[in-house]
Amino acid sequence: MKKMSIAERLGTVSYVNQGLQEAKPHILVETDICNTRCDHKCTTYVCPANCYTLDEIGNVHFQFEDCIECGTCMYACDKGAVSWSYPDPETGRGVKWNFG
Amino acid sequence: MDDKFDCIIVGGGIAGLSAALTLAKNNMKFLLVERGEFSGAKNVSGGVLWGSRLADLVPDYWMQDAGFERYVRHRRLTFLDEQSAFSIDFKSDHFNEQPYKGLIVLRSKFDNWLAGKVEEAIAESSFPEDSFIAPNILVDKILMEGGRATGIKTGEEEFHANCVIIAEGVNNLLTRQVGLQSDYVPADYMATGVKEIIRFDQSVLEDRFQLDGNSGLTNEFIGYASDGIEGGGFLYTNKDTISIGLVLNLKSMRENMSQDKKIYDVLTHFKSHSAVKDMLRGGEVVEYSAHVVSTGDERALPKELYTDGVLLAGEAANLLLNSGKAIQGMDYAMESGILAAESVIEAKEKNDFSKTTLSSYRKKLDASYVMKDLRSFQSAVQFLHSEEMFTSVPKVVNEFGRSFFTVDNKPTAKTPAMLKDAVSKHSSLWNMIKLGIKGARSL
Repeated sequence: MKKMSIAERLGTVSYVNQGLQEAKPHILVETDICNTRCDHKCTTYVCPANCYTLDEIGNVHFQFEDCIECGTCMYACDKGAVSWSYPDPETGRGVKWNFG
Repeated sequence: MDDKFDCIIVGGGIAGLSAALTLAKNNMKFLLVERGEFSGAKNVSGGVLWGSRLADLVPDYWMQDAGFERYVRHRRLTFLDEQSAFSIDFKSDHFNEQPYKGLIVLRSKFDNWLAGKVEEAIAESSFPEDSFIAPNILVDKILMEGGRATGIKTGEEEFHANCVIIAEGVNNLLTRQVGLQSDYVPADYMATGVKEIIRFDQSVLEDRFQLDGNSGLTNEFIGYASDGIEGGGFLYTNKDTISIGLVLNLKSMRENMSQDKKIYDVLTHFKSHSAVKDMLRGGEVVEYSAHVVSTGDERALPKELYTDGVLLAGEAANLLLNSGKAIQGMDYAMESGILAAESVIEAKEKNDFSKTTLSSYRKKLDASYVMKDLRSFQSAVQFLHSEEMFTSVPKVVNEFGRSFFTVDNKPTAKTPAMLKDAVSKHSSLWNMIKLGIKGARSL
């Protein structure tokens, strides 16, 4: 089998409200904490959906659109930068598994 | 309709649905709310539902088009090093007996099927108009009055009940809200499962894995699979797909991975092993998924599994055991869901939903195999987490395998000498003796 990139992998995932322009996030990340107080910035390598990325100067950026609601960041972050709070299902994003 | 339910169940996974089925059969009025578009829409597992309890909830389920993929007839545990695979393999006609002792499932389908069974049970109950499964509903919070749960708030609406079963899964925000678990749960006893569903032509799958009818294979992997991270791999055969993935400890990932080795790179690494590659040839990835899972360490359990008007079931209570024999999460969810419902039924009879009455749930769970096994296999959980288990042991096993199974035109060493040689190359005799004693005691 040919190796798949994370973008190709995420391309197999179905999301709810895929067409919604301004979906409400279900995770808030205080990246100031990541960028000033965190020595590992582990969300950028443990997140299975690559929602946390590092820029060229080593700062953490977060986007929730690809999030598959696995919960990894909720436990992996030990600096209190990550908080989860689901919006109304009509206005949020999130997965809809075809297989699960 | 009465404006108050006997019980509100939060979460339409296996724990919540098992509780609902039990309540429906006992003519209780309940509301089950699910955040996803349908039961199973947000759920991921490896996954095997172990044990035969489903047959009590849905008698003769195997006679119908049940929601499972295949039953477990063939089991394999594989040690991997870079080049080799050494397996312990067990296949038995004994596993063909119904009720089956293990079902391979895909949650999006299985949970939805089980929800259908709940709907049927509601229709057959004394209150077919008064119990509901409501998907697409987010519970904002559990309503508390004087320290006691009285219902749920969802958007602008409130629903009231004598008690609430929280079966929200491992990312247990409501469990934290009612104070049964701390707001911050450390990564130490948590893992992430990451997997792919790979589709084949069904006859290719059946030939490749020697499946007969709806029989299935479960294969666990340790060693090369997890690339030095604490954890292991799995492969389960579904109808015309396989589930292949890894379960990796979160703390170990934080400490041992990097920008050059992200979680999905480890999955790619596992799939690149030649013995694994041989199993995947010609398949097409149709879904990539991931989910947190607790590791079965009892230090992860919430402070308590009940309080006034509240019961916790399934992974919301971190009820899961990976003893090395199997990863048991879904059967624990089912068992705890049933027992929670039984406690609700008793509380209704007494018309008392206080902590004191609901403590019967804890007693039932303690007396069941769930807490008994969870307690007695704690040393096994820790044994599996010893670094040697996913680093040196698979190397020793394969080094030995290579010598033992190689036949060449020169004098052959005796087996004990081969073993000694394999051990000394990758570990030390003393380390292996210590580990052997630990393992013998724990299993």
